[in-house]
Amino acid sequence: MDLGNILPVTVGAILLAGLYATMSYGLGLIYGVMRIVNLSHAGIMMLAAYTTLMLYRSFGIEPYLAPVIVMPLFFVIGMGFQRLIVRRITGAAPIVSLLLLFSVWLIIQNAAYLIWSGNTQSILRPYTTRSFRIEALDLTIGWMRLGVFLAGVVTLIILQFFLTRTYLGKAIRATTQDRDSAKLVGIDVDRISMVAFGIGIALSALAGALFSMILPFNPDFGRVLMLKSFAVIVLGGLTSFVGIAVGALVLALAEEWAVGVFGMQTALKDLVSFSALVLVLILLPNGLPSLLGRMPVWRTKPARPTTAPTGGKAA
Amino acid sequence: MTVKERERQSTAAAATRRAGPGREALFAVGGAVLAAAILAIFGLTLPANSYLLFSGFLLFLFTTQSLAWNLVGGYGGQTSFGHATFYGIGAYTTALLQENAGLHPVLALLAGALGAAVFSVIWGYPLFRLRGFYFAIATIGIAEATRLVALSPLRELTGGASGFRMSTAGAGGRTSQYMTALALVLATFLTSYWVRNSKLGLGLFALNMDPEAAETLGVDTTRLKAISLALSAFIVGLTGGIYARAFLYINPNDVFAFSVSIAMVLMSVIGGVGTLIGPILGAVIYVVIQDQLGAAQITFRGQTFQFRDVQLGLYGLLLALIILFEPAGLVGLFQRVAGRFRRRGGTQAVAEQQALLRNETGDE
Repeated sequence: MDLGNILPVTVGAILLAGLYATMSYGLGLIYGVMRIVNLSHAGIMMLAAYTTLMLYRSFGIEPYLAPVIVMPLFFVIGMGFQRLIVRRITGAAPIVSLLLLFSVWLIIQNAAYLIWSGNTQSILRPYTTRSFRIEALDLTIGWMRLGVFLAGVVTLIILQFFLTRTYLGKAIRATTQDRDSAKLVGIDVDRISMVAFGIGIALSALAGALFSMILPFNPDFGRVLMLKSFAVIVLGGLTSFVGIAVGALVLALAEEWAVGVFGMQTALKDLVSFSALVLVLILLPNGLPSLLGRMPVWRTKPARPTTAPTGGKAA
Repeated sequence: MTVKERERQSTAAAATRRAGPGREALFAVGGAVLAAAILAIFGLTLPANSYLLFSGFLLFLFTTQSLAWNLVGGYGGQTSFGHATFYGIGAYTTALLQENAGLHPVLALLAGALGAAVFSVIWGYPLFRLRGFYFAIATIGIAEATRLVALSPLRELTGGASGFRMSTAGAGGRTSQYMTALALVLATFLTSYWVRNSKLGLGLFALNMDPEAAETLGVDTTRLKAISLALSAFIVGLTGGIYARAFLYINPNDVFAFSVSIAMVLMSVIGGVGTLIGPILGAVIYVVIQDQLGAAQITFRGQTFQFRDVQLGLYGLLLALIILFEPAGLVGLFQRVAGRFRRRGGTQAVAEQQALLRNETGDE
């Protein structure tokens, strides 16, 4: 136990949580609307990281501006992909979609090897390594980390606004809650699925573009991060964005504290998220919100049984 | 809904037909033994340092894994991305017992397989509560966690990232490796055939089609899943041990790798998941792509592409095509083609296979 570290470790964890949340929103949105786990998530993040690199190398576009181009691009790609391929397998056994998206990941990964080779890349700009100090608290914070965290928070706010205030957002939420009822009240579920898939892919791409500025990457990039995203959305109860943000915070805190405060080996850090993924799936199938739901004060609405991994048919 | 029901009925009928021994049994068992005998004689005629012996050894090892994965992933429909754990534990247990404890190689192999089976029960039981892709994703978590543990806290035992080297004493020549792997593949095929026609197999088909209905009919689904996973783990553990003894060097990053698990999924699904012959076809395709085409290269616009560089994408493409157009895999494709020629019968078989795969079609 090293309690002297607790403040910097906690601040680091909160910044990391922003990153974890950003990379999990897309996964959560696609799962919510289509009940599909996007196993090509890692490939999309990797592709977005390389796109950011290419935009910088070929056109001199600063990496922090890249999401402005990357997100619409991947939104369109995602919609087209949903329309042409994924739609064909809606309603098939869950494992079919898993394997299909997995094959997409393999293809993307291989294409990246061919185009960019297996060399590890990183984007270095004068500002990527700059940091500031808060003397009073003895804290050093990288600007990039802070920026990425803020991007995650802003994304959450925009998403929440979009989902609660716009017709499209409400339709997406309705489809998430009950696909058949959504159809009954006149929502074009197919179109909503397409748009939601596009947004989901765009969010994965945003995460990839942000990662490219703080982490080195190669075509194999993202496998561990994808597993962490799964852990985050499972912790968050699978369909709520606020839940995902909370799940990201819990996971980041658990990881950082295990290493920084409880003195776990750094090499074992990822073990925290892998164990969390498995344990939460088994013990808390509805994620952290179900824990809150048990406390009468915070109870808002009953958990939807269809989202439970164990109960009923895994629809 | 009605289509689904009809498919289910036809599958149930097929399952009833399968239960009775007869010409099919003679055909499958006799054919397998005959094929193995021919391959054995072929192996004996090859010179001891032949590359074909080595290729054959690899092919048999992959085929065994593919058949073993199919027991739980195909018959039972429990898609596991965590079979590398069995491979790794089999390899390490065998190697460590043989090197450090001086155990007889055969006993070490069996101990490795047993270790894998025990490990499968440890993670299998809690995970079997999960359905569909929740199970699949949890197995990825298990596999990656196991690899990390083997790599770091157990560094003293496994050799960590630098791996574990064995003495050459128990290696045996290429011919004996070839024969061992051939015997294993034959035994695994016969096991797979037996499971398919046994009460275990029928229970697995039932739970694959509809877990609730199977439970209602008194099928103890958790027990069946555990038994099939343990059987599958035992066999994959054996291949791990055989691999360790043939290569004399193992590394957690190789034997516990995600790619090991992926290979088993790919082979089974490409060949025809849940079928008897499919996993063999899948393994042949897999090994041919990996081993034989590995050296090929294509020159395009002055740039030379090694075939090796597009392997992964090729598997991905095959997988995508299979899933989109022929869920019963290559076996389904062959049956469809054969059905065209025979006019009748073939399409029925395809429908049966597809019904098996398309169980649990969401309630759209």
